[in-house]
Amino acid sequence: MSAVARSVAVTALVTVLGSGAFWWGTDGFTAFTAETARRVDILRAPRPLPAAVLEDQDGRVFNLDDYRGRLLAVEVIYTRCTTICNSLGMAFRQIRDRVPAEALGRDVALLSISFDPERDDPASLKAYGIAHGADGEHWRLARVRDAAQLRALLEAFGVVVIADRFGGFEHNAAIHLVGRDGRLVEISDLDAPLQFAAKLVETL
Amino acid sequence: MTAIAPDRARIGFCALGALYLLLAAPPVRSWLEATMSGHMLVQIPLLAAIGFAACRLLGARHQERLLAIAGGPIPLVVMAFFASSWWMLPRALDDALAHPLVEVAKFVSLPTLVGLPLALAWRRLGIIGRGFVWTNFISMLAVLGWLYIAAPQRLCNSYLVDQQASAGWLMVKLALLLFAAWLGHLFVAGPPVGNPRAVHGP
Amino acid sequence: MATYTYEHTPDHGAKAGVLAYLATSAAVLLLMMVFGLLMRLEQAQWISIGADRFYELMTLHGAGMVGIAAIAGASVMWHFLRQYVDLSSRIFIANLVLFLAGVVMILGSVLIGHFHGAWTFLFPLPGKSMGMWSPGAAALFMGGLLVIGVGFLLLHLDIARAIVARYGNFARALGWPQLFGHDDGKAPPPTVVASAMVTVVNVIGLVVGASILTMMLVNLYVPGFDIDPLLAKGMIYFFGHIFINATIYMAVIAVYEILPRYTQRPWKSNKVFLASWTASTLMVMFIFPHHLLMDFAFPKWMLVMGHIIGYLNTVPILVVTGYGALMIVYRSGIRWDMASKLLFLSLFGWAAGAMPAFIDGTITVNYVMHNTLWVPGHFHTYLLLGMVAMVFGFMYYLGKPDHEADDRLIDRIAFWLFTASVLGFTLSFLYSGKESVARRYAAHLPEWVPYDRIGAVFAMLVIASSLLFVGRFFSRIGLARHDYQRAPVARPATA
Repeated sequence: MSAVARSVAVTALVTVLGSGAFWWGTDGFTAFTAETARRVDILRAPRPLPAAVLEDQDGRVFNLDDYRGRLLAVEVIYTRCTTICNSLGMAFRQIRDRVPAEALGRDVALLSISFDPERDDPASLKAYGIAHGADGEHWRLARVRDAAQLRALLEAFGVVVIADRFGGFEHNAAIHLVGRDGRLVEISDLDAPLQFAAKLVETL
Repeated sequence: MTAIAPDRARIGFCALGALYLLLAAPPVRSWLEATMSGHMLVQIPLLAAIGFAACRLLGARHQERLLAIAGGPIPLVVMAFFASSWWMLPRALDDALAHPLVEVAKFVSLPTLVGLPLALAWRRLGIIGRGFVWTNFISMLAVLGWLYIAAPQRLCNSYLVDQQASAGWLMVKLALLLFAAWLGHLFVAGPPVGNPRAVHGP
Repeated sequence: MATYTYEHTPDHGAKAGVLAYLATSAAVLLLMMVFGLLMRLEQAQWISIGADRFYELMTLHGAGMVGIAAIAGASVMWHFLRQYVDLSSRIFIANLVLFLAGVVMILGSVLIGHFHGAWTFLFPLPGKSMGMWSPGAAALFMGGLLVIGVGFLLLHLDIARAIVARYGNFARALGWPQLFGHDDGKAPPPTVVASAMVTVVNVIGLVVGASILTMMLVNLYVPGFDIDPLLAKGMIYFFGHIFINATIYMAVIAVYEILPRYTQRPWKSNKVFLASWTASTLMVMFIFPHHLLMDFAFPKWMLVMGHIIGYLNTVPILVVTGYGALMIVYRSGIRWDMASKLLFLSLFGWAAGAMPAFIDGTITVNYVMHNTLWVPGHFHTYLLLGMVAMVFGFMYYLGKPDHEADDRLIDRIAFWLFTASVLGFTLSFLYSGKESVARRYAAHLPEWVPYDRIGAVFAMLVIASSLLFVGRFFSRIGLARHDYQRAPVARPATA
């Protein structure tokens, strides 16, 4: 084989392999960040969630599994957050307001989970709930006291939390939908709550 | 290209190996990977540079053979392009931090699929090929920097958003600096004036 | 004092690549002239093609004319630079192939995709078409520009390689040892100095242009990646201004090389010449803000810089070249033929075209003039009567049957027709500008229509004379490849 032909052949091979690797590695040129990858992955294959014991704003202890049979919208927050969690809270409220009253509580519930159990005691959770218009029944606020359970839960939701330099945290924010079978079925952007609500109402 | 004396090559390999192990050592690794700039602009380029330098120590004969197997400089540049672009994906950075296997892949692929092929190809490229690689690399670095600055949200879950912006600005500044240096070298490099006769006779 | 001697050598024939460049330029030039005429006819209300079609033609006219100006300029530079350094024919051809590929993409974008966001692709227009064209069409247009840019980047890198191989580095190629030290008379010839300058500024301009094009392509598909519009505008004008200015700096090489052959007086790379080219190398990169003087959002220092350097940059190369040409020609007994006449005319055209820019560069004038036809008046003068005249002169020179050959009467008539009609055409623009006729408007007010009609008539005459020039070039294209003396020997009046 001549040098030129070899060069062309190998270049073509490398290009095909390289493009193939990128295709595979970015889910068909759609997911360039871990966050999008996570969402694409969950849409394709709903993910089971680990068991977790939670404590809500009134000190009531319950299991995540207690929500089986209902659609559950989950946001992951910490109550001292002054930035993105406020947007999350607003988005959550918009979703709640769009769910038909008769379905709320019976077929649909909302849950805000804090990843900072040290400081987010029931009192802070309650204050956060009041600030965002949560009723404490259909929309509850809770923390996971067990560190290992919390870690597993965050891992399953794909939420990464890192401390910032001001005593707070940075974390990826989204609205998660847990299906009736208790599996995570969809992650949606927090700036599109209306679409999320519309889809939720559709599946009722 | 003069052949490198065997003992010098051995010392070189030892030095590179030591640097490699140093980069792989958990404290250094976590220190560099703690910031996005350290990860993207120090650790990754150093890993590629180790591959580049190691190739130069191989000796001319081995390099020629590898070059012949690969089919010349162009496939090698393309290979380096794909492999280096991969590790510029925010997703790949996150994965490298989250999964040890991906981290190993990063430590293996950067020297062998980026540094080594570039070093093999480099001598054959000449000023046009090198200029093409440089100018493309520089403008892509600037564009990538802008992407990191302008990104509407956090690209990497493992890094703070202000790290993302500072890494972006560093890339833009680095691109400007590299471009100035590349242009500057055109103004100073080179042997004295050559033959003053016209190149083409009638 | 340095001494220079002029050696009379036969002219090298043009390589096939140079002729391919010139043929491409000539064909596209005529087509784009027709598109320009259609625009004037639309404004003159003699035809009715509609605003959308008008802006499509305007986009094609702009992109096409800038493209062939660069291609034609590059052919002049490459043809003459080859005598001094060893250039690669393959890269020269590769640039033309990439250029044609880019042209096909741009034509597809405009004619099929109906992109009409002007050749300057100002952000965010290409991405915000309000349904007039698809993102795909905008991407195809910008992709086409990117492909053309890659070709020119390759060409300039080859020129850089050849210059470095021959002169060691760019400082020597620009004659800095002679400029800043003792002038030993060994500065590189004007062709090399000009080529080095064009290469430096175009490489910088192209890298900036490629960056903004890539950024806009990303933004087109992922709008979340915001681009600062001021930054985008700055980068686009930096690139566009350098690229179009470089075309005349390439084409002027024809003047430096051909006029001395007519008068047997060498064009000297003396200190003043070298200083003017070095000064312009820097200044051409910093004057783009003079396009933005009305843009109050731009940082003040940039506008001040653009204003001052805009004034200064009008002077050096133009004056040095004009003065040099007069010195070469004065009492030389030069025998005027089509080539020498067109080249001499081109210097007048360049100077005349720079004047409106000089006036427009004054901030208070700029506020009221910049968005009028005054500015198209400026660049049509210096490009058509300057740059294009240089290329026509080069074409006539290459096709000259022998050094004693006389021009046909019809060619001589066409020369004066071209001169007069270009002046009439550009003056109709300039006068419209003075009357505050807005530029880039498809539809004109009734009061403006008379100027448009005058302009349209002159445009037809420009096309007629250009058609003859181009036809003459094609009919003599076989001669252009041969080596022989083309310039008539001057007859000095006194011994």
